[in-house]
Amino acid sequence: MNEDKVCCHVRNESATSPATRQSACKCNHIISYLNNLYKLLRETKIVIHLGKIKDMEGVQVSRHPEIPGDPTQTSTALLEKATATIQGFGPVNKIHQHLCAFHFYGHDMSRQVEAHHFCGHQNEDFRQCLIYDRPDDDGRLIGLEYLVSEELFLTLPDEEKRFWHSHEFEVKSGVLFMPGVPGPVQRQDLEKVCKTYGKVIHFWQVDKGDNLPLGIPQVMMALTRDGQLVDNLAQDVERRYNVSFANERENRTYMKGLEHGIHPMANAAGKGIQTVLREVDCKPAV
Amino acid sequence: MSRPTMHTTPGQGGGEQIPPGKPTSMEQHMLDKGAQMMQSLKPIKHMNQHVCTFAMYSHDMTRQIETHHYVTRVNQDFLQCAVYDSDESSARLIGVEYIVSDKIFETLPADEQKLWHSHAYEIKSGLWVNPRVPEMVVKPELENLSKTYGKFWCTWQTDRGDKLPMGPPALMMSPQAVNMGMVRPELVEKRDYKYNISSDALKTSRVEIAEPEWINPQADYWKQHGKGFAIDAETTEMKKIAPFP
Repeated sequence: MNEDKVCCHVRNESATSPATRQSACKCNHIISYLNNLYKLLRETKIVIHLGKIKDMEGVQVSRHPEIPGDPTQTSTALLEKATATIQGFGPVNKIHQHLCAFHFYGHDMSRQVEAHHFCGHQNEDFRQCLIYDRPDDDGRLIGLEYLVSEELFLTLPDEEKRFWHSHEFEVKSGVLFMPGVPGPVQRQDLEKVCKTYGKVIHFWQVDKGDNLPLGIPQVMMALTRDGQLVDNLAQDVERRYNVSFANERENRTYMKGLEHGIHPMANAAGKGIQTVLREVDCKPAV
Repeated sequence: MSRPTMHTTPGQGGGEQIPPGKPTSMEQHMLDKGAQMMQSLKPIKHMNQHVCTFAMYSHDMTRQIETHHYVTRVNQDFLQCAVYDSDESSARLIGVEYIVSDKIFETLPADEQKLWHSHAYEIKSGLWVNPRVPEMVVKPELENLSKTYGKFWCTWQTDRGDKLPMGPPALMMSPQAVNMGMVRPELVEKRDYKYNISSDALKTSRVEIAEPEWINPQADYWKQHGKGFAIDAETTEMKKIAPFP
């Protein structure tokens, strides 16, 4: 095995700075430690099934209660410890905030889902978010959302606008919030969110009880007026996060909404959206 | 601000900012920093692998893209990935892929299996890599991963120059050893150059990874049927429990 390429540095990066040399040194040290551990494990054929035990850094490696599958094997977990340490996670490191909100299916308002967004800014006008069904170690990645400023939204063709929903009601009513962040601080950001539009796609219908991401993607919509949000869903979230939507609503009356009002083509153009699957040729006609 | 355009040919609009927008303000950076200090962001911290590989659109296999998967392992049989179009902090979130073991795949109904693709070829051919991780460290796991199947939905077609995520999601397929599944050499070379690796050398060293005994013929649907799948988003009457919008 070629040992001198043991640490792959990205081409064109200067490899002569002390910081780089030091990190290369640390890299090699970790790699050689892991190699020895691997050899030992392979020779003695130890495979310890991890249940709810803590790994080297105290992060719990737990088995999801519902998704089928065996607990993660030690060798796998060790490899992933290495990759987590050595690799760069640039795009993911941009994710800076957690927002909790509710989505419903674009063709069925009665099916509502608690949605935990993990968001990063591409620029002042655009955010991209990963959506999980819960904000903890066992969270399932169920979808994603893009948020754009009103200005960007208005540049979209009308046909595209129907995929997007307005955020004004969700923010002003208090049901969209940032868990763990004090009111005055979160309001500074949410007053901006109030003036954005979002496009949400879900891939995993957890509300149906699916324990795997089956079927086709779903275009989701968001709350646009009182009376839509199912009471016990709202109360459950308020209780778990110790928040009061009604109180927050009062604190947010000062917020300004969309300058041009809610566009009539947004929110599924006031109707509904349903995705369907179509079999097609796998290459375009010549 | 110019309208984001949909090109029909692949390739970025040269030099244009994707997505459009003003640079993130200092105020926003401070808000983000503040939030980050107060929130645990646990699911994000569980991403522990970066995989770089290639994919093609199932409705147009001539459109091939380099992908960057940020992977969370849920258990020995299931992984979930956030997929980006590069590994830089400015990367666009272009979709989500789920990966299951063959054990789980065999439990899926046939209609579901058609939406999935196999990973054996892309691993054995050296297309699938963990950048910056030495091959000897990843090799033991590649044998497990080579028996998995993936389901990958793309929500932002940056390869055709879309400045914003447009349209319904697209189903993606994986590289395979035959005709439309072969990744164009120039795409692979560009990737290999960036990471100072050689996919060909990896292919040679991965010869010892066992081929899966059987790959379910429902996966990689285009191979047997010459067909892919598209998603249409139809306007419909929404089932309501209150007035909308």
